[in-house]
Amino acid sequence: MEYSEKISLRVAFGNALVKAGETRTDLRVFDAGTKNSTMSLAFERAYPDRFYTAGINEPGMMGLATGLAMDGKPVVACDMSVFLHHAYAQIRAAVRQGKDLHMIIAASHTGVAVGPDGGSAHDITDMARMRLIPNMQVLTPMDGNQVNQAVQYALNNPGFYYIRLNRPAVPIFTEADRPFEFAKAHHLADGNKITIIAAGDKAFTAMEASEQLGEGVADVIGISTLEPLDADAIIQSAEKTGKVITIEDHMYVGGLFESVAGVLALKRPTPMARIALGRILTTSGEPDELARIYKVDLQELVERCKQFIGDC
Amino acid sequence: MFKIPIEELKEKAYHIRRDLIELIYRAGSGHLDTSLSLVEVWLSIVYSDFYELDVKNGEMKSRDRIFLSEGHACPVQYMVNADLGYYPKDELFKGFRKPFSPFQGHSVRNLKYGYENSNGSLSIGVWQAYGNALETSSRVFCIAGDGEFQEPASQGLFSVPLNLKPLGNFILIINRNRLAQDSEVDLGPVKEVAALYNWQTMVVKGHDFSALGSALKLAVEDKERPTLMICDTVKGYGGDPNNAGKLGHHGKPPGNDQEYQAYLDGLEAGRRN
Repeated sequence: MEYSEKISLRVAFGNALVKAGETRTDLRVFDAGTKNSTMSLAFERAYPDRFYTAGINEPGMMGLATGLAMDGKPVVACDMSVFLHHAYAQIRAAVRQGKDLHMIIAASHTGVAVGPDGGSAHDITDMARMRLIPNMQVLTPMDGNQVNQAVQYALNNPGFYYIRLNRPAVPIFTEADRPFEFAKAHHLADGNKITIIAAGDKAFTAMEASEQLGEGVADVIGISTLEPLDADAIIQSAEKTGKVITIEDHMYVGGLFESVAGVLALKRPTPMARIALGRILTTSGEPDELARIYKVDLQELVERCKQFIGDC
Repeated sequence: MFKIPIEELKEKAYHIRRDLIELIYRAGSGHLDTSLSLVEVWLSIVYSDFYELDVKNGEMKSRDRIFLSEGHACPVQYMVNADLGYYPKDELFKGFRKPFSPFQGHSVRNLKYGYENSNGSLSIGVWQAYGNALETSSRVFCIAGDGEFQEPASQGLFSVPLNLKPLGNFILIINRNRLAQDSEVDLGPVKEVAALYNWQTMVVKGHDFSALGSALKLAVEDKERPTLMICDTVKGYGGDPNNAGKLGHHGKPPGNDQEYQAYLDGLEAGRRN
């Protein structure tokens, strides 16, 4: 499977499940009444006997998936991210069953990139919530190719995973055949004046910013595993540039910014800036419009980088 | 009906109650009253002639399974499984509610010891149990409290034959002792609701081995529908008769030697009758 055109991470996810199902006949997929949003529908169409829908019932879906994982099957539980709030107790209960379970939780529709459905549909705290759960490995793939590789990785290495997906089409910039490097940051551009650290599809925004800032300015680090975080890569880059800015489509509380700040505060205190959502309730709007309103877009990143470089 | 005569089961019930009183009094904490209400129910399942288990190989693929959803009742699970021979009883007395022991304040999944699920927060175990039953030919029993059905997520389970699929190998047992932590509780029309969703339903005397054995037999004979067994029990049954079936004793161990003795006296009196 190889993408060269823009593709939504959730569409790539559905395709990745179908591909995985070719060899992993033991894989079971659950959804909570959102299969045509999470794109688990693609898996159901290919393998109807290996798919369960719990209906609009997130706690039940997560409990059922956990129970089947306890019976020895690898399971993927899919939902629109914001609805997983309903199943938080069940996710916490799942990891308490023991490390032998193999569970992947896939959340589509994260961040304000969800757009016009409005604030009730924007999940801007999912990474924080998942980071709070012991043994939960939090993956934030950066493009469609990485989604495919991340799904394969998670299926080949038992444990608990959360995969963050979203809705808009995202440009492809990673190689299709490059295996997912778990817990490793991606060094996407070389520079020595500022470090930009970006999670998920914001990695592409970071690369665009790097181009605008000019060659050799921004050291760009893409994060596709938020938990556990690649502390070494962050420290190395911070030592080189002396300034770190993060960008995420997520509240700053408990997300990428605080993860990176936590690493640097302990190991290499470094001046930081953040491009993230505040502790706010968000509004309806087109994805690009919202990114502008909430200042989590390319323009903001470039301006803040220039300002930050100039300040110090 | 059972692998051993009912007279022997009654003897076992007596000794398990005695050990539970001892265990929880010594530990100074634990849910004695809920545990006492489930002794006959638990023994009836594991001693039913159909029930498959291997205490030397707790992970045996073909084992039947008991999920405990009302996790605070775990002392009865710990004691019955010690009696079955999964581990020595001494180990339980030494480790109960102690750091890092297998005998935590609520169960931690441990197949070698016969504990199918980690539990605690109510309404979660019933769904895990149903999910566990989806693709196995083993029988999956799930024991839940009646108070647990105040949780909307528990009530939702009854719709599974319609919204997911009916499973003939699933038996939900509700321990109807009519007392929750802070108030009395009424299951309401749960039985009727389950029947409308096409469950096999029954109400059973929960301290009567003969009634429990017959009901369990019926439950496993229905291969098409899940079964709901509402077991009428008394919270604190077989202990201090002044506390049994009364509010205010949830999670309270005997507080001193006198109270401890009252539990033992009640137990002895019950044995004589």
